[in-house]
Amino acid sequence: MSFIDDPQFGNTMITLMAALVLVLQIATVGQRWLITTIRIFAVQSFFLAAIAGTIAFFNQANHLYIAALLTLVLKAILLPFLLERTVERVGIRKEIEPLINVPLSLLISGCLTLVGYVVAESFYHPEETSAQSALGHNTLAVAIALFLIGFFMMLNRRKALTQVLGLLSMENGLFLAAISLTYGMPLVVELGIFFDVLVAVMVFGILAYRIGESFDSMDVSKLRSLRG
Amino acid sequence: MIEMLAKSGFQLLLLLLVAPLISGIIKTMKARLQTRCGPNVLQPYRDLFKLLRKGMVIPDTASWIFSAAPYIVFVTAALVGLMTPMTATDAPLSLFGGVLAVVYLLALGRFFLALSGLDTGSSFGGLGSSREMTISAIAEPAMMLAIFTVALGANSTNLSEMARSAVSQSWRFLAPSQMLAFAALFIVIIAETGRIPVDNPATHLELTMIHEAMILEYSGPYLALIEWGASIKQLVLMTLLVNTFFPFGLSSDWSVSGLGLGLSFYLLKLLLLACCIVLVETTNAKMRLFRVPELLAVAFILGALALISTFLF
Repeated sequence: MSFIDDPQFGNTMITLMAALVLVLQIATVGQRWLITTIRIFAVQSFFLAAIAGTIAFFNQANHLYIAALLTLVLKAILLPFLLERTVERVGIRKEIEPLINVPLSLLISGCLTLVGYVVAESFYHPEETSAQSALGHNTLAVAIALFLIGFFMMLNRRKALTQVLGLLSMENGLFLAAISLTYGMPLVVELGIFFDVLVAVMVFGILAYRIGESFDSMDVSKLRSLRG
Repeated sequence: MIEMLAKSGFQLLLLLLVAPLISGIIKTMKARLQTRCGPNVLQPYRDLFKLLRKGMVIPDTASWIFSAAPYIVFVTAALVGLMTPMTATDAPLSLFGGVLAVVYLLALGRFFLALSGLDTGSSFGGLGSSREMTISAIAEPAMMLAIFTVALGANSTNLSEMARSAVSQSWRFLAPSQMLAFAALFIVIIAETGRIPVDNPATHLELTMIHEAMILEYSGPYLALIEWGASIKQLVLMTLLVNTFFPFGLSSDWSVSGLGLGLSFYLLKLLLLACCIVLVETTNAKMRLFRVPELLAVAFILGALALISTFLF
């Protein structure tokens, strides 16, 4: 199995998985069912963990294995589980019409991906033909696109839970940028971020449940009626 | 000349024989997956044979378009089939236009089918035609974008040339642009062949039907021609998908041993693709008509990203 040792093959696989992550992100934009959105997020996180593992394997960056494992356990299994339980408890399964209709939001996500590429282009210097810069060029664009589309999702959706998912996919974009550019942040920072995300989701889960209880809906625009 | 005729004859025979078989396999597998017994795999052949022997009823209001449409649908589908590489990289016909001709010959068939739906003056046919045109107007740009991505990789819009370059770069389908184009084209094929999230091929009794609504007035041999043409079109689109993205086993010449190997690989790939289609059909419910543009918008964005990422990745 010679191609296992070939860094070129590693780069191909990483680029492919980054593209899949991007496709899944765009799929969430067009998705109405909350459960499906959560599952897509879980698959996306799984691919992210796979990218981290592949980078760790081909660049002998051993601490990245821990980050990959944490991503797998936390973001691909634990967080989706928590979020799905919140959905079960609130009993709201479907997103109402988003603020901007689906075909237009898909077009906007396509444009945001382009923006990601344009921004990433300025970080790319072809004269430094190290493996790292080539890798960074491909995945950084995807990472920026993930970040922007996640942000757009937070603006576009009205349900508290989909906004949380937008935030989580923004975090996925940051993680992807970090591992592809610098082979990951120091482990302490990594652990801190994971813990942060975990606590955030738990708090959001309780908050979403409370909103659902008091308003019979998870529509955050109804929070305005709290004004005195 | 004789060589070309022989190749065309062989491929035409293959098209005519395999197309109903694939429809039958999809129907049977779908039934089995839903724990029904399902029709025999050979049922489409029997249907065609029965329809071809029957007399037909032509509405009084119908004009010549009604009689011409079945032939046009059938001939364009068969012609397109001769232009796609099925078992060997060289297609028997590569007279003009390459892949653009393929897309627009199929569009010509669809245009006449939609006209014939309107021609009889029944409101059902008109509904079907208007829906078909709505969907194809959105599906076509997505299809073109995905196909251009592949054509850019091969530096040619000639299908034989595209297949040859796909064979020479065997790991190319792992490139992100190819994957995106594949996903886009898969969605387009689901829409074009009237499969479940978009249209239900197994019904004659729904208000939401599209393809069946257009051909509601047809009977006898004309219906057989249209059904056969539709299954050939489905086969051609599936061939396009498997042979341009996964060109394993395509033989580079027309020798007997190469053809045997190519044929067995080809049937295997078709079977796998049919499995994917069956899974999609079984796990999804039919979409509301107004949701279909959303699905096709996904395909369009995927195609656009595929084209963009050919330059960027």
